[in-house]
Amino acid sequence: MLDIKQVSKFFPGVKALDRVSLTFHPGHVHAIVGENGAGKSTLIKIICGIYAPDEGEVVLNGEKLALKSYSDALEKKISLVSQEIQVIPKSTIAENIMLDKLERFTRRGAINWKQLNREAEKFIQMVGLNLPPDTEVGGLSAAQKQLIMIAKSLSADAQILILDEPTSALTRHETDNLLKLMRKLADDGVTIIFVNHKLEEVLSVSDRVSVLRDGQHVGTRDIEGLKKEDIVKMMIGRDARTMYLGQLDIDWNTTVLEARGISRAGTFKNVSFSLHKGEILGFYGLVGSGRTELARILIGEDRKDSGEIIINGQVAHISSMADSLYKYRMGYVSENRKELGLLLNSTIQTNVTITVWNRLLNRLGAISLKQERAVTERYIEALDIKATGPDQIVNDLSGGNQQKVSISKWLAADCDILIIDEPTIGVDVGAKEYIHKLIWDLAKVEGKSIILISSDMPEIVNLARRILIFKEFEIVGEIDNLNTRQFTYEEVSQTIGQYLA
Amino acid sequence: MAEVNLNKTAVSPKTKSRNGSNSLMKLFKRNDMGVVIATALLFLIFALVTESFFTRYNLFNISRTAGLYVFIAMGQMIVLVIGGMNLSLGGIGGLVVVAAGYTMDSLGWSPWISVPIALSVGLLAGAFNGIIIVKSKINSFIITLASLFIFTGLVTGISQGFPYTNIPKSFTLMGRGSLFGVPYTFVLAIATLLIMAYVFKFTVVGRRILATGGNLEAAQLSGIRTDRIVFLCHVLSGLFAAIAGLLWVSRMGSAQPATGSDWLIISFAVAIIGGTALTGGEASMLALLASAILLTLIKNGLIMLNVNVYFEQTFLGLIILLAVSIDRIRAMIHSSARKFGRRDVTEAKPLAE
Repeated sequence: MLDIKQVSKFFPGVKALDRVSLTFHPGHVHAIVGENGAGKSTLIKIICGIYAPDEGEVVLNGEKLALKSYSDALEKKISLVSQEIQVIPKSTIAENIMLDKLERFTRRGAINWKQLNREAEKFIQMVGLNLPPDTEVGGLSAAQKQLIMIAKSLSADAQILILDEPTSALTRHETDNLLKLMRKLADDGVTIIFVNHKLEEVLSVSDRVSVLRDGQHVGTRDIEGLKKEDIVKMMIGRDARTMYLGQLDIDWNTTVLEARGISRAGTFKNVSFSLHKGEILGFYGLVGSGRTELARILIGEDRKDSGEIIINGQVAHISSMADSLYKYRMGYVSENRKELGLLLNSTIQTNVTITVWNRLLNRLGAISLKQERAVTERYIEALDIKATGPDQIVNDLSGGNQQKVSISKWLAADCDILIIDEPTIGVDVGAKEYIHKLIWDLAKVEGKSIILISSDMPEIVNLARRILIFKEFEIVGEIDNLNTRQFTYEEVSQTIGQYLA
Repeated sequence: MAEVNLNKTAVSPKTKSRNGSNSLMKLFKRNDMGVVIATALLFLIFALVTESFFTRYNLFNISRTAGLYVFIAMGQMIVLVIGGMNLSLGGIGGLVVVAAGYTMDSLGWSPWISVPIALSVGLLAGAFNGIIIVKSKINSFIITLASLFIFTGLVTGISQGFPYTNIPKSFTLMGRGSLFGVPYTFVLAIATLLIMAYVFKFTVVGRRILATGGNLEAAQLSGIRTDRIVFLCHVLSGLFAAIAGLLWVSRMGSAQPATGSDWLIISFAVAIIGGTALTGGEASMLALLASAILLTLIKNGLIMLNVNVYFEQTFLGLIILLAVSIDRIRAMIHSSARKFGRRDVTEAKPLAE
């Protein structure tokens, strides 16, 4: 039995976990759900020894744990299958499974491959992966790699198996198999902690579900008789997931951006769409469905083989983000803000003004530090960025505030067209609502034309007034009458679901 | 939910309120102060302990060598700052020296023609590195390792290993002369450091260089043409190497093909000890100057202590290790203070409201 007792964790500017208490029982699949930024991953990292709790304790079978690293957790037979699939592509399945136990199969410095493969075979069978142990991992599907990661955990004799969004890269069929495997492992006495935001999956496999919200434990329920709506209610703290924001003043006669017949070898074939003035156009689809890839073609960071991009009625020649920004005033808030959006070790000021240095010059042609500061302070104020000042290092900000900084630079650049890619991943609920309102106001008040890329359905239903649905690098559907009529969230999500099916 | 206020009105005074009382602490927390203090201390110790140190002649020599080191180190700093490196720096230096020697000695041309040619050779060699790195997208370590051999081979091939000694007397003014007792080399170094400090703080291109070094992909997605920045920095690296090479010829009064063979270690030592972040995105001109002086003092001190000069490189290597270890420890202290600094968080909050 694993007991989390009054655990808290603080990060600069944010309480990631606030006195959370949970109990996990052997033989149970225990789901943990919550919105982005609810504290799920922090909790997992504490259980796995990656973070130390600031308050409270973790107790395993009556023994208080003081894990200092993930390897300490492994020793206690706690194992994590993380969201990102981490395999060594050039190695075989058996090697990947036995990676941390290679010395067990080593005699006089040489590995006994026969013995290793034989041993690995057991775990390959266990997870239902019907492949020879000496298959190279590189060419396998995401699901197969995921199974290898689980087999690796099992080979470590995991008694507590944590699965963090394990189905995000899997197809329906692969998901079903994985859920079956989880059930079977639980029945064999393993404690399974299942972090997921797909509630159907949670309902179908779990015994219990705990909900986190804003770092707090909202409640734990037995799955018996529980409905999806009940969980949603706990997650968001109110009944309706949608708030109707009203109508946008879209100028349907003015097309600010049009893509005509975009093709790129291996991905897009003849993709076309248009964006109107003052519109929020949603790109909905699963991760890898081609939304970000299309955005990268629009901003010139990736090449297209054929097709045209027309901006304000003229064929645009964009070969880099610089062209996009300086020639066509089109900005891109990137999806992965830590790696692609921000200079993490630089100040807020640098990150906000990076797009406008060339406009802040004084008579001598030097950047005016005064103006630079004023611009930064203006956006700290306008976007309510919680910081000690313009000189604070961006890395020390919370996810929501980082995202606000990431958006600020495009507002400072005064772009007419904004492509905003997954703006609320890893952002707490309050900041999320704020960012939604901000995006809305950019279109409604400032008349910007916005492409909103998101796999968060409520987000896209709330904000977008037209939704393009992406699947395997194609636009498979369009919902276009959202501005004039108010649909319920269920209606829209069902329609999207039909397109995707 | 707070109202989203996009109208671009006055700036709230609240965000300005920062604690002024600990500005002295801040000064010492700066990354670049450590080396400045260390240099000052060593200078003081030498001045007190050795009689011959605080002489006009010795100070002239130290500042002149330090000035040369500044240029060598700038050649490395300008590529370290974008997260790259230039192993061929000494090769470029050698090539420039041979170009200057060949044109002045073998061809008998005037320095007025030779110097621009030699500088162009440096720029071209830097451009050669830059264009291959940008186009091939292979890291600068590999490319400049290869070009080091190319350049060194050219140096040996063209010069046959012999120095060019017939250098016009007028050309030695820069390397030997002085302005009110301060060597021209040092004056030029200070001027260049000031220019570069200005470039990094006040010019768009300087800021873009730092941003590119901070996070190349993010910089590119913020509209910076990072390819051009990387290319430019390698060209500048070639330019600094060329200036250093010419200053050396001017000082020696002859063009030695072996010039540059010890630049690799000098350039890294001075740049790294001088606060240039190995990960890119950060450089301090003040610390670079202090570091150049520090290294000169150490070399000077080793001679005065009668340390076998053949071991000199060992000392320099140890100093680099020491410098990066201190840097690493400081980074660790800083990040753990961030991680576990809950007090900081609660204190920061009221300010942020």
